[in-house]
Amino acid sequence: MGLFDRVFAGADDMLAKAEQDLSAAIDELGIDAPMVMPDTGYFLACIYAYTGRKVAKLSDLKEAFDDVKALCTREQKTEDIFKNGIATAIAAEIIEAVKYAKSPNPYEDSIYHGHFSDAEVRELGVPLVTQEIPGFVVIIGAAKSDDEAFELIKGYQSRGIFVFLIGDIIDQAQRKNISMGFAVRVVPTGKDIWSVGHIISLVVRAAMIFGAVQPGDWDAVNEYTFKRIFAFVNAFAPVDDITVACGGGAIAMGFPVITNDENNMWRVPKSLIIQPDTSDFIETSLEARDIKIKVTNIDIPVAFSNAFEGEIIRKKDTHVDIDGSRLDCFELVRTKQAHEIEDHSIILEGPDIDEIEPGSKMCAGFIVEVAGKNMQSDFEPVFERRFHNFVNCAEGVMHTGQRDLIRIRVSLSAFEAGFRLKHIGEILYAKVKSEYESVIDKCQVRIYTDPAKCKELRAEANEVYDARDARLMALTDESVDQFYTCILCQSFSPSHVCIVTPERLGLCGAVSWLDAKATFELDPNGPSQIVTKNSLIDERLGAYEDVNEAVSKYSHGALEKVTLYSIMEDPMTSCGCFECICGIEPFSNGVVIVNREHTGMTPLGMTFSEMASMTGGGVQTPGFMGHGKHFIASKKFMRAEGGPARIVWMPKALKEIVHDKLNATAKDLYGIDDFCSMIGDETVTEDAEALLEHLGTVGHPVLEMEPLL
Amino acid sequence: MGFKRSPQTFSAKVNAVTIGTGEKAVTIGGENVFPLYSFDAPIENKPKIGVQISDRGYNNAVAGIAEYYKGAENFVDMAKKAALMPGADFLVLSFESANPDAENTSVEECAALAKEIAEAVDMPIVVEGCKNKEKDAKLFDKIAAALEGKNSLFLSAQEENYKEIAASAGLAYKHKVGAESAVDINLAKQLNVLINQMGVAGENIVMNLGSAAAGYGFEYVASTMDRVRSAALSQNDTMLQMPVITPVSDEAWSVKESIVSQEEFPQWGSMEQRGVSMEISTAAACLAAGSNAVILRHPESIATISKLISAMCDKEGN
Repeated sequence: MGLFDRVFAGADDMLAKAEQDLSAAIDELGIDAPMVMPDTGYFLACIYAYTGRKVAKLSDLKEAFDDVKALCTREQKTEDIFKNGIATAIAAEIIEAVKYAKSPNPYEDSIYHGHFSDAEVRELGVPLVTQEIPGFVVIIGAAKSDDEAFELIKGYQSRGIFVFLIGDIIDQAQRKNISMGFAVRVVPTGKDIWSVGHIISLVVRAAMIFGAVQPGDWDAVNEYTFKRIFAFVNAFAPVDDITVACGGGAIAMGFPVITNDENNMWRVPKSLIIQPDTSDFIETSLEARDIKIKVTNIDIPVAFSNAFEGEIIRKKDTHVDIDGSRLDCFELVRTKQAHEIEDHSIILEGPDIDEIEPGSKMCAGFIVEVAGKNMQSDFEPVFERRFHNFVNCAEGVMHTGQRDLIRIRVSLSAFEAGFRLKHIGEILYAKVKSEYESVIDKCQVRIYTDPAKCKELRAEANEVYDARDARLMALTDESVDQFYTCILCQSFSPSHVCIVTPERLGLCGAVSWLDAKATFELDPNGPSQIVTKNSLIDERLGAYEDVNEAVSKYSHGALEKVTLYSIMEDPMTSCGCFECICGIEPFSNGVVIVNREHTGMTPLGMTFSEMASMTGGGVQTPGFMGHGKHFIASKKFMRAEGGPARIVWMPKALKEIVHDKLNATAKDLYGIDDFCSMIGDETVTEDAEALLEHLGTVGHPVLEMEPLL
Repeated sequence: MGFKRSPQTFSAKVNAVTIGTGEKAVTIGGENVFPLYSFDAPIENKPKIGVQISDRGYNNAVAGIAEYYKGAENFVDMAKKAALMPGADFLVLSFESANPDAENTSVEECAALAKEIAEAVDMPIVVEGCKNKEKDAKLFDKIAAALEGKNSLFLSAQEENYKEIAASAGLAYKHKVGAESAVDINLAKQLNVLINQMGVAGENIVMNLGSAAAGYGFEYVASTMDRVRSAALSQNDTMLQMPVITPVSDEAWSVKESIVSQEEFPQWGSMEQRGVSMEISTAAACLAAGSNAVILRHPESIATISKLISAMCDKEGN
């Protein structure tokens, strides 16, 4: 028998039972007898939500039943499975409702919960909407053993998943003394499959209450449940036709069904999943419904707080010194497929720190493997750079450096408190997972301490670092489809907007294009928003309609246009937190750049602070511009005015920072060797005329360029 | 040629939000002109005044406040008196005692009190929390249930607890949600967007943009409110078109001018009068900057601001 036929047969069975119970009730109570579910303003909620019909009497219910019958179309299309499935769920509601027509509380003397009040719907709905409860499961049937039932229920409970039980698993839970009830979030709903009607009633009421879904709007109900209610079904073998039909309803609402029944069952991706190994039900289910479990605490034997971030561990207090400058050490984030990762698994290969002499050095490699639908490999270095902050927050643990130049010290007292390598894994797991929950679904940590293995993996890690660097080098403004805004500092400078591009990082120096991209993905309503680059106005200036629109929007109308590559025409504004200021030097037609750290005078006759007062505050001052240090060596640095060849003076310290990259850029752009040696600094002169003389002596290219003004 | 005035009205307007039910319900917002610019177009709904009472009582308050609530034996009595305060449009219940560092009153107790008050008075109710974000989330959930059907406003949902408050007060019990941010247009907008994404319609959100007592950095408040209003009206930014409510009293009654005794600073004159002046000047500044409602405490301040609002907004002859 095909899946269609099973669903149809199941629907027929459920409807037959509903019809029979309904007519028995009508015979007994009369057709005009009231039909009211207790403590709800939503009538018979499934019927109300799906058809808009308000049932108040048995006669209404009879009419509603005819609606349901009409839903059972038999075209052998997916839509039929959905319609028959929902019909089955509504028939289940009818079967249960009839019990309430006969008695106000039919489950009074049983363990079964039956109908949920509106108060309970709200009580469960609020944490479901806020995702404090990440989702709920409906478990149907009997697990293979009482122990397995126990493990499954407890497994869900420990992950904060709300559990509804239907059928024999309730007896199993009772035998294992699992405490049950709405308050403990394990609800023995009912003995028979039709008690599922109570759960669907709860779900559709949540849609009407929290989603403002209009009764009778079939599509809106299913859309809401699919998008906002993170529910799924675990059905134990043997699964009968009626349960299959109910499953069709669940799938229509967006709730995947996971079963271990392989007989007469069909896999439907993301919807009907056969998992013969019931010990994997939880993992499979959470993945199928895209449920992420939040990390709430970090399981380590020492304190964890920002207060310990700056803690220094002296040599004499050190139990182990993981020293990347002497031994093969590294840390790395890798993106994997979801099935390759067991969430929260911490794997140590090699000796732990209790197998070494106190005070000695050892090698260690840390690989944090992550998977997630929205994960991009570009985020790897963004996460990796945070390891330093994460690990440092543990009391008695010190971390410096990154990549394969890390150093981690664990103090004697932390070691005595029970701190071991796996705890570094716990920290990395908890922090990475919680800080980046919007892109990471699963995370596991591998720690290696075997010297040979560390050597081998370090070499592999270096290939990854090299590939990343190459990617960064290859990223140009032309090679990407979009730029990003950054308005992090608008609280200080209300009309300033940074446009961050691959070749022009934020003026604070802290926000690269990749950072802005990650910020957007992680916090879609946050300070970094996408700026498209579809309508170019002027390539030389880096002027785009899209950029102007974004600047106008995010400055709330204060600015109308900026260019990306010009200091003279609509230059980008500055907040006040720029790393450097660039200002034109009229004698030479060049520009002087000064960094924040430089306190001395410049050939402009102004210090950094004096220049800053002209540059900040979100206003456009042609001829002055704030920017990040790394923008200096960019090929887009004031490209409209001829590029970095305009630079005539920089403080020596700044020159040293940008030396290699700026020389490479000048070689590329102008074929000049050692361009930096032509640039003046405070050791050459702080006087404009003397600077001009110097430029002539060294043959600085600016002297050949067109006037700036 | 004489001066010809062209009214500056906008096609966009601030959302009109109603709080409370029945005859006493108040509506704030709705205007399509800058704050109090009644010469450009009629102000759709005059700014409103809330009278704030605390569940910790006002026994030690300045004479004018203590006097007003004299004889009130409990929070409910105070509420009944407050509801009769001349010039006040709505009641603001502050559940300060629920703060874990104060009496840590249970959420159930607070909810029962709120319910009792709602049954005793017919004024619209605005609920203030205890300034502990975690507790507020739980507190508002229970009070929202207790006040179901009263169409109250909950002050406030913040970045850390907006989900719970939006889901509970906003969605489950259909109250209005206050969105509180700290004097920053972008944060204000972001919070409105987030609450909206939870399913609460923009028309059911009221903003608390944060405040400061006049003279205590109020320039930031004024400029933030200015920019929010300007974005709402001139740029038709729907995520900033929520009306603004500003709790003035908490700020005004906690600065030095309002709490240093006359004994200590004889040359400053009456402490009570100073406090009232702080409250009035701050409230007036907020209204001028864009608040659609202010929350005040002292009967004299309320009477004065009420008079100011009438003078600014009522057409001649009204």
